Amino acid sequence: MSSSPTGRLVGARINRKEDVRILTGKGRYIDDVHGRGVLSAYFVRSVVAHGRITRIDVEAARAMPGVAAIYTGADMAAMTNPVNLLPPMPNLVGPTFPVLAVDTVRHVGDPVAIVIATDRYTAEDAGALVDVDYDVLDPVISCDDAFAPGAPQLFDDVPGNLIFTDEASFGDVEEAFASADRIVTDVLDQHRWSCVPMEGRGGVATYDQATGGLTYEASTQSAHLLRIMLAGFTNQPINQLRVVANDIGGGFGLKFAICREDIAVCAAAKKLGGSVKWTEDRNENLTSAGSAREEKLTVEAAVRNDGTLLGLRVSMDMNLGAYPGMASAFAIPKQILFMLPGPYKIPAYAYSVRVAATNKATYVALRGPWAAETLARERLLDKIADELGMSPVELRRRNLITMADQPCPMGTGVPLETMTAAETFERLVSKVDLDAIRAEQAAARAEGRLLGFGIGTAFEPAPGTAAYWANIGFPAGSEPMKMRIEADGKVTAFTSQVPHGQGHETTLAQVIGDELGVGFDDVRVVFGDTDATPYSMMGTAGSKAAMMATGAATVAAREVKAKVLEIAAHMLEASPSDLQIENSVVSVKGVPTSGVPLAQIAMGAMLAPGLMPAGVDLKLEADTSYDGETGGWSSGSHACWVEIDPDTGKIEISRYVVVEDCGTMINPGVVDGQVFGAVAMGIGGMLLEHSAYGPDGQYVAATFMDYLMPSAPEIPEIEIDHLEYQAPTMIGPRGVGEGGTVIAPAALMNAIDDALRQVGGTRIEATPVTPTRILEAMGVIPRE
Amino acid sequence: MKPAPFEYWAPTSLDEALKLLSGFDDPGDAKVLAGGQSLMALLNLRLAQPAYIVDLNGIAELSSISRDNGTLTIGAMTRQRIAERSADVAAACPLMVQALQQVGHPQIRNRGTVGGSLAHADPAAELPTLAVCLGADLVMRGPSGERTVNARDFFTGFLSTVLAEDEILTAVRIPAAGPGTGSAFEEVARRHGDFAMVGVAAHVQLNGDTIAAASIALSGVDGQPVHAADAGAALAGQTPSDDVFAAAGAAASAGLDPTSDLHASGAYRKHVAGVLVRRALKVATARAKENQ
Amino acid sequence: MTSPMTQRQITVTVNGAARAATVEPRRTLADFLRHDLDLTGTHLGCEHGACGACTVVLDGAAVRSCLILAVQADGHEVTTVEGVADDGAMHPIQQALWDNQAFQCGFCTPGFVMSIYGMVGEGCGRLSRQEIREELSGNICRCSGYQKIVDGVEAALSGEVTA
Repeated sequence: MSSSPTGRLVGARINRKEDVRILTGKGRYIDDVHGRGVLSAYFVRSVVAHGRITRIDVEAARAMPGVAAIYTGADMAAMTNPVNLLPPMPNLVGPTFPVLAVDTVRHVGDPVAIVIATDRYTAEDAGALVDVDYDVLDPVISCDDAFAPGAPQLFDDVPGNLIFTDEASFGDVEEAFASADRIVTDVLDQHRWSCVPMEGRGGVATYDQATGGLTYEASTQSAHLLRIMLAGFTNQPINQLRVVANDIGGGFGLKFAICREDIAVCAAAKKLGGSVKWTEDRNENLTSAGSAREEKLTVEAAVRNDGTLLGLRVSMDMNLGAYPGMASAFAIPKQILFMLPGPYKIPAYAYSVRVAATNKATYVALRGPWAAETLARERLLDKIADELGMSPVELRRRNLITMADQPCPMGTGVPLETMTAAETFERLVSKVDLDAIRAEQAAARAEGRLLGFGIGTAFEPAPGTAAYWANIGFPAGSEPMKMRIEADGKVTAFTSQVPHGQGHETTLAQVIGDELGVGFDDVRVVFGDTDATPYSMMGTAGSKAAMMATGAATVAAREVKAKVLEIAAHMLEASPSDLQIENSVVSVKGVPTSGVPLAQIAMGAMLAPGLMPAGVDLKLEADTSYDGETGGWSSGSHACWVEIDPDTGKIEISRYVVVEDCGTMINPGVVDGQVFGAVAMGIGGMLLEHSAYGPDGQYVAATFMDYLMPSAPEIPEIEIDHLEYQAPTMIGPRGVGEGGTVIAPAALMNAIDDALRQVGGTRIEATPVTPTRILEAMGVIPRE
Repeated sequence: MKPAPFEYWAPTSLDEALKLLSGFDDPGDAKVLAGGQSLMALLNLRLAQPAYIVDLNGIAELSSISRDNGTLTIGAMTRQRIAERSADVAAACPLMVQALQQVGHPQIRNRGTVGGSLAHADPAAELPTLAVCLGADLVMRGPSGERTVNARDFFTGFLSTVLAEDEILTAVRIPAAGPGTGSAFEEVARRHGDFAMVGVAAHVQLNGDTIAAASIALSGVDGQPVHAADAGAALAGQTPSDDVFAAAGAAASAGLDPTSDLHASGAYRKHVAGVLVRRALKVATARAKENQ
Repeated sequence: MTSPMTQRQITVTVNGAARAATVEPRRTLADFLRHDLDLTGTHLGCEHGACGACTVVLDGAAVRSCLILAVQADGHEVTTVEGVADDGAMHPIQQALWDNQAFQCGFCTPGFVMSIYGMVGEGCGRLSRQEIREELSGNICRCSGYQKIVDGVEAALSGEVTA
């Protein structure tokens, strides 16, 4: 336990409350829920990428002892409503599909039946007896496949497999390109990789036949949204449906909104009565849960020879897989393309995008879903710098929007304020000696060693602004909080956040403790239960919590504090503005002996209202929200040093530096942890992780032997420098969870290309960057 | 992912285990369980669904390390971690210590066995490659008694060996490293502890300033470990130099036609094989010099 | 739970106490601990021995409980994460990890605690940060990027724990 130099909780590296149960193995994750009568669900899944189900026979499976029920796609369709997760929106065509596949399977792992049995072993045994015949259809694997004339159609209601298309233009793009000294083009072909939380998806659905109530204990990031959607798809009245969340083993975007399996499990529980538990195993998680980042971008820059950027044009193809999720189809491509100009002055910009349905698992949100924009842009900038013979530092400096330039609009017109990418960049640059690096590289080359250096800069919407979100078509909204002082003077706060590693039980207690003058241990944060917590659609996603939940906690605490001080003012015969609360005692400022314990006020208000001052509000509760004020942006700049073994293509990251600005840090340890984790994920994504499909749509990376997660030796020691720029908002903290995953790939890829450039290697245009790709780029081995 | 049902026996003697195996109508329906680090994963994934499991972990006589007259004998059920830390192994076969340090992670080696890795015969695994490099003898026993097969004849293809379905591998016998010898294990893997994309085990015997004999084996480049016999033989009588090592690398690599997979292309494996042979020979020779 | 296969009676010493149960041979040690003994601290992250979330200490050595059958633990000693702390107080390893804010979602955490416990129990002594990373390469964490775990292990190994 420690506190900051000021004695305040905010700013202190306090040990997390969550860790007591986490470190001693007393957490409650989905698979930990068991007991008499909890049945286990297991999904039978398609082994073909695209096909018609011609026969499905469950009789032998149903007859197995221990099997409570088996529901095929047709059975499930009779118990649920068909699924379409996309809103009505121009140029967006959302297919409608059944909860479990009925006639058509559209990716390897597409669920075709659910087996409910006494335990998972038995359920898998029965699942093995389910007999399915498929008429194999030609699969659609790439975007080119999807859009080719005469391509197989995945959905009757999605002509040409085109789910979404969009284009926009800002400024005079034609003029920019006509007047440029040169046009620099770059291609980025990003591969598919996945969230891979250590706990897969899952939930325990319990239906009480006596009350008609359905409870779903879920591994979710958005309890309220899940509740609304589940109610709709299972024909359950919303007020008879309760979602709860306890410990969640990571999300990274995967557990936002709803998946078809959630619906099937709840529908099965309703039909059977009792409890049905589903935990996704790793095989299912890697094959069926969904993945992200499969985008191909072609970017062109109109450039003056002095390095000034005149304009950008980008076209993007995005591979959405089958069964679009709630937001990926439109919100993510729009975020990518809207953010692409980044923290640079881009007077003219145009983009276009096509999103394809293909025979792959669905495209999900993955930490920093818009990351392709930073990767494409930062790589393009290095390419421009190289062509112009300028240093990548100088090129960026010439074009970055600084604090002095703001307020000003970003390339896509959204107003910017307190966007400090340039400031993080300058701090980063002050920590590196580019001349020394170039000399070191030359010396190394003479010894036959290959060193590379790369940087990346970006800002992110954390939480963004209302204007930004309006452009994306995704509601920003306000953040609610309920709070009350209990009869013993301690505090219970109910948040709509659903933390899954972010430490909100700790950070919100720090905020509330400071605002209310109570101890860190006296604040309890309740989350995840839709019966107790206030409604918000988003839950925990999009790096909003640091500002929005902090804001909600602050507003709620101030409301409650005002009520306490009003009561105390009568008791102490002072004006509320002369009072303070410290260590749970209300006293007149400067007169410590005058104090009344908060507990006394609370107990009086609740148990002896007749003895309390007349005419004051005795309800020491708040049910309020925070509107986000003018929102905020977080920024970061990363530098990456690599050494490439020219004989084996192995890449070692020898040094990694982060400068980031997320405003006020509530708990620096938590912030550091988010940065380390985010960077590690970005590194893993670029070098190791690949949700790979074969040409026939077969899924290749179904175990951790093939889907490679970075382990400790693969991640370098990361140095972090924090700037804490304050926006002109009441609330100081801004989000920090995603920036590392967005910027790390750019810094790393730039370092790799920097290394390859020295030996005349070709640019890496496709990821992941494996040792094979390195040796191919160096011309040491032929391309496959 | 849970295993399919099976019947299970845990014999306490080798004879009992062998009797069980030969008693099944179809011994192909049975699998022996050693460390379980490979087999249990296959069972959990239902990629293997044997009707019978014969657990060897209760057979104490199969766990031993002994050295006599220039031969190091390791019982098949000896835990990899025990072998890794054994003074006898360090003295008689430093290559094994080096190879074992590349095998997975400590938790794998705490349970995995020397014999299990050899019998499982993953072509990217370290111990089979080491056995081929050193020309170890593998001892097995079946209903018709005990037989010994040299490692260079033992591995027949992907996850395949000459072990009959009713035979159990009991020990591996390795010629102890003498003076003037040095060995090295070099591998390239995607991550620390992964199976190698390509691995090389090299053993060099010096006679003064020239190479008396050398042996090279490669992992990850074919369905089974490759014994680069010609490249090794060509080193005899040569004076060690980087050019000589490079030529051996080229010779070893020339005959290879590795397949491509998610982790590396065939061309990559072929090229890096040559690189690692060169590196391994260099290190092995330097160690041999120190050992003279 | 019904099964056509022979069930076996086993007695395993778990966290110092003899625990008896009747299990199918195919039941993994991990599932035995989690479901038969209600010791749910040991987690399943992959069930093919790659992620380390299921790590327990068996006869003094850290192993993957998803790759061991419960019947194989009959007559042996198992320590799980629930058995590391002393009646409410944290073990110095847990304290060091807590003080260094090593973990986030907690799913990988028991596996790390047991790998470190096993490492320390075998007398690993003081290790460099790189050596710590290599010793822990068999445990995957998705949240933390490992750095603060290394901080915690370094602190635990040097005895710098504010217990």
